[in-house]
Amino acid sequence: MNKNSKRVLAVVAASALALGTVVTSQANAAVKEVTLMFQGPLTGGDAQLGQDQIPGAIFAIAEYNATNPKVKIKLEKADSQCDGTVAANIAPGVAANKKVIGVIGTSCSGEARNSFPSYIAAGLTMVSPSATAVGLTDPKAPDRGYPIFHRVLANDKFQAPALVKVGAKGVTSPKFYIVDDLTTYGAGLALYAMPAAKKAGTIVGTDSVTKGTADYSSVSTKVKASGANVVLYAGYTQDGAKFVKSLRDSGYTGVIAAGDGVNTSDLPGLTGKAGEGLRLVAPDVPFDLLVTKEKLASFTKITGVKVPGLYVTSTYDAANVYIACIKQGKLTRAGIQSCVAQGTFNGVSGGKIKFDRYGDIIGGAPVGEFVVNGDKIDYVGIA
Amino acid sequence: MNFSVVTSQFWALCLQGLALGLIYSLISLGYTMVYGVLRLINFANSEVFMVGTFSILFIQVSVLGHAVNVEPIHGIQLIGALLLSLVGAMLVCALLAMLVELVAYRRLRAHGSNRLASLISAIGTSIFLSESFRIFTHSRPQTSPRLLEKWTFGEIAGANFRIDTVMAIIASIIIFFALDQFVNRSRLGAAIRAVSMSEENSRLMGINLNRVVTLTFAIGGLTTGAAAFFYTTIYENTQFNVGFNLGIAAFTAAVLGGIGNLRGAFYGGLALGLLEQFASAILGSQWKAVTVFLVLVLVLLIKPSGIFGEAVQQTRT
Repeated sequence: MNKNSKRVLAVVAASALALGTVVTSQANAAVKEVTLMFQGPLTGGDAQLGQDQIPGAIFAIAEYNATNPKVKIKLEKADSQCDGTVAANIAPGVAANKKVIGVIGTSCSGEARNSFPSYIAAGLTMVSPSATAVGLTDPKAPDRGYPIFHRVLANDKFQAPALVKVGAKGVTSPKFYIVDDLTTYGAGLALYAMPAAKKAGTIVGTDSVTKGTADYSSVSTKVKASGANVVLYAGYTQDGAKFVKSLRDSGYTGVIAAGDGVNTSDLPGLTGKAGEGLRLVAPDVPFDLLVTKEKLASFTKITGVKVPGLYVTSTYDAANVYIACIKQGKLTRAGIQSCVAQGTFNGVSGGKIKFDRYGDIIGGAPVGEFVVNGDKIDYVGIA
Repeated sequence: MNFSVVTSQFWALCLQGLALGLIYSLISLGYTMVYGVLRLINFANSEVFMVGTFSILFIQVSVLGHAVNVEPIHGIQLIGALLLSLVGAMLVCALLAMLVELVAYRRLRAHGSNRLASLISAIGTSIFLSESFRIFTHSRPQTSPRLLEKWTFGEIAGANFRIDTVMAIIASIIIFFALDQFVNRSRLGAAIRAVSMSEENSRLMGINLNRVVTLTFAIGGLTTGAAAFFYTTIYENTQFNVGFNLGIAAFTAAVLGGIGNLRGAFYGGLALGLLEQFASAILGSQWKAVTVFLVLVLVLLIKPSGIFGEAVQQTRT
């Protein structure tokens, strides 16, 4: 090899090395990744609530990542079991994970309330697809989630009157018996249902049965003795199913209606025939009614879920709130917080999502009516 | 306070209280038998109950092939399925209780460990069983098939005499009296009573201590298995932590009646079941636990050894 050849080779090698470095650094830039955390019940008695929701987040993020963006999104999961105590234990770990720039969640109101101290301290934004307790966004509540908490659905001020309306539908002289499970969500929903129930008929009794109770026979006896013809239940599926079975086994034949905590796809299996005709509400419109056939097919292909469960719509919307901010280059917790608080986002239903100062959706959102029909839950329409 | 429901539904509340109370009684017999002999609280008994409920699910779904949403069955098929579930659960619980004694207690006893070590060992076994089932079931509640159609014999004074409730009450009473007779009249029962009075003297009399202790655990397991059967038949659900609340209630019943005392556990369970029903009806369900424990504290203040007194005296004939 002569001197010139060596020189050319050296130049080519140096160029190749330089080019390689550039290409590598560009590749590094291209694989920049941020993490969103889905937090909700993935195991436990109320796991179906979270399991129904998470495909919405998986699908939204998969759609976004498929566009080959400069910043990819990774979805991680935090299982707080719809339990405030569990949430309080895992929230510090989520907050300490600097890769996490936003939380899609929590699913349950008690989980949200107990996560607030960690997330407020860490400036970690939450966009919940289903935590509906009024106190979470109440300016006067000492344990509100301001400024990090937001939700893409109507709260229980809207859900509670809808529950009363659906329960009383077709009932002449409704006599309500209202039962809650003493949780942040259940007690709040029952409280907000009372004024509407008083307007729609008479309240003949109320009771609060601690979540996890095995025996509902005494409350069933009280319901029967009260002469109630509409029972409203504010709690979660696991206990709701026990209560419904106990009521029907006691001989109660009136209407039973329940809030969104009970509206999970495992409910018909847990209640068996006792759940037939059970009326349900939820501030949600089923995803499959809002999207095109092609999009639904894509959802099924990506998530493996044929029939989207409750709150896929709101979880998809919650994920897309973050995605819109990430598209704007907001890749830090502070950037995400200001973007979510101030931005206007597109919902899958075609409506706009904008949050008020305390995290509620401005203009409210629809509350849907559902009914248990055999082994599935059918959507009836807007309540 | 709602006293009107008590006047109008008195017998209904009594019937439900009896059914629930007898389930407590059967579980509390497991606690009280072991305490009577070893002076130890077998905290793993609540998980023996939990495993019993899952064994019923296994028998009905996997062995007998009934789907969870099956139509109720009738006749000889029903009797066979219920008997197999009852006997199966009792045997599973008895074997598990014997295993618990072997693993968690025997070596500690043999080495003369103090009672605290046995207590921690029992709690450890309880957590091991509960967490194993939590992992196995992903913490999800399980529904058992409704094999028994819940028809009623009729309604008397507002009380709905439903087949599952009546069956639980009658069978539990029979099981209790059979156990009472066994402990008070049989040779093995005499051995149990002898050990409960004095381990040392029993040994000198030629009683095989290990055999008696194992037998005691097995009997406690049998009654706990029966409780699991009646619970599953009435409520048709279970979960990895189903034993926790029921175990606390049963333990409370045993203390209320006089821990170590068979009749005390039985009547303590009944009292607790009735108390829970009436407290829920009058004060509201949220006050149930407060009322029960308030009554327990008051009883123990007045009679520290429980309603029926101390163990040793009571396990004598």
